[in-house]
Amino acid sequence: MTHPKTPHVVDARYMEPPEPFTATMEMLDQIQPGEKMLLLLFREPHPLYRVLRQNGHDYDTELMPDGTFEILITR
Amino acid sequence: MQALLSFDKAPPFAAPLRFFLTAPLFGVLAGLLLLGEGGDLLASRWMPGALAATHLITIGFMLQIMLGALIQILPVVAGANLAQPLRVAGIVHPGLSLGTLLLAGGFFFGQPLALMLGAGLLGLTGAFFIWVTARALFGVPSTSPTIRGLKLALGSLGVVLGLGVLLALSLVQGWAVPLAALADLHAGWGLGAWAGVLLAAMAYVVVPMFQLTPGYPARAGWYFPVAVVTLMLGWSLALAGELAWLQQICQLALALVGAAFAALTLRLQGQRRRARADATYRYWQLGLAASILALAMLSTAAVRPEITEASAWTPAFGVLLLGGFLSFIIGMLYKIIPFLGWLHLQNYGQGRVMAQPMNRLLPDRYADRQMQIHFAALLLVLAAVFWPEWLARPAGLAFAVSNAWLFWNLFSAFRRYRQQLAEIAAKLAQ
Repeated sequence: MTHPKTPHVVDARYMEPPEPFTATMEMLDQIQPGEKMLLLLFREPHPLYRVLRQNGHDYDTELMPDGTFEILITR
Repeated sequence: MQALLSFDKAPPFAAPLRFFLTAPLFGVLAGLLLLGEGGDLLASRWMPGALAATHLITIGFMLQIMLGALIQILPVVAGANLAQPLRVAGIVHPGLSLGTLLLAGGFFFGQPLALMLGAGLLGLTGAFFIWVTARALFGVPSTSPTIRGLKLALGSLGVVLGLGVLLALSLVQGWAVPLAALADLHAGWGLGAWAGVLLAAMAYVVVPMFQLTPGYPARAGWYFPVAVVTLMLGWSLALAGELAWLQQICQLALALVGAAFAALTLRLQGQRRRARADATYRYWQLGLAASILALAMLSTAAVRPEITEASAWTPAFGVLLLGGFLSFIIGMLYKIIPFLGWLHLQNYGQGRVMAQPMNRLLPDRYADRQMQIHFAALLLVLAAVFWPEWLARPAGLAFAVSNAWLFWNLFSAFRRYRQQLAEIAAKLAQ
């Protein structure tokens, strides 16, 4: 799945916890430093935010009209 | 790359667990009260037994679980960390439990001192909880409908407590206040703007997460909490200004907004991707059905207020509304407890020892059996409103059994958690 914001997308909207977390971590491992990935979820992942901050990643979240949170993460 | 879900800032499991394990005991007490009192308890909302049972359920059961869950879940759903969560739990849990017993005892035995002490203790405990939670929450920007909902709900809890203390003081001191109208307002703030908005704020997260449904549309998510609180403010203003028409409009709009939220949740559940209907799903379906019926009664009463004079009206409305809330809460508990337990175990294993699958802590079949008793108990209590002489005592017994069973299920989950914790510790020590 690709997205206008980035080709690296994890669509975790119908995944059960902790799958969204592990899938995001795997995707971050795969992309190059400076590249961006997009996580799609129906909630804001505050525990993940903390891990991203701890690991020095920037992220930007946008809530879409259908209730999807688009979280753009920079490796 | 850190592949472990960071949970280092999460409160210990003991912080919420004491609330979860105490709440069903208050449910048992409410059931025993109905068993002992029989049909008299359901005759009117003003009967001492009815006032006691209502508060055993709303504070002893509902508020107990809501505050316990908030202590644990605020970092997860809002990124807000309470300072010293164990200490907060250590103050709020006994305050809430003792306060509920005193208040319910004061109502039931007609003891003004117990009533005042109970209301005072609950007011202080609630104020303390609001203060510590507000410090954590109000520094967090409202980036999601959940966070905005939590903030509005917390403010509403303050109004509920204030009105509750005012009502208790008025009863004891004999102040000339419109008791019935104020009690309605107290219930409206409590069940609508506090419990209803909190439930919605949590539903935005847990319904898609645990039932694999689509998300709540953003616009509905943002506006539902604001609409409920605004309408409750309108109702309060109408009471202060003696504007009956404004009160009717606000009540009607509240019923419609609540029903729209319930209908939206039903629609989302209809699109779920989890094929099997588990206990949580069924509990929510029952909760939604009961809420929609209750809200239909509220809208009817707003248009034709004289209908509430029918003897069974108010008790039936109360049973449906509280029965709905209990169903939502128990349904959520059956997901939240295994999830939190699993998360703590996983964290304890430090990535070296994996926790067993979530449903090992609370197997579905145990939840299913308890759910059947709960459904039967609710139907019996509702039927007892119409045939009190025959059904009130069996309904009380069924309600007590359902809550005792819930306690046993939750306690067994805790025992399995302790067992797994010891196994993980042994493996880590090897």
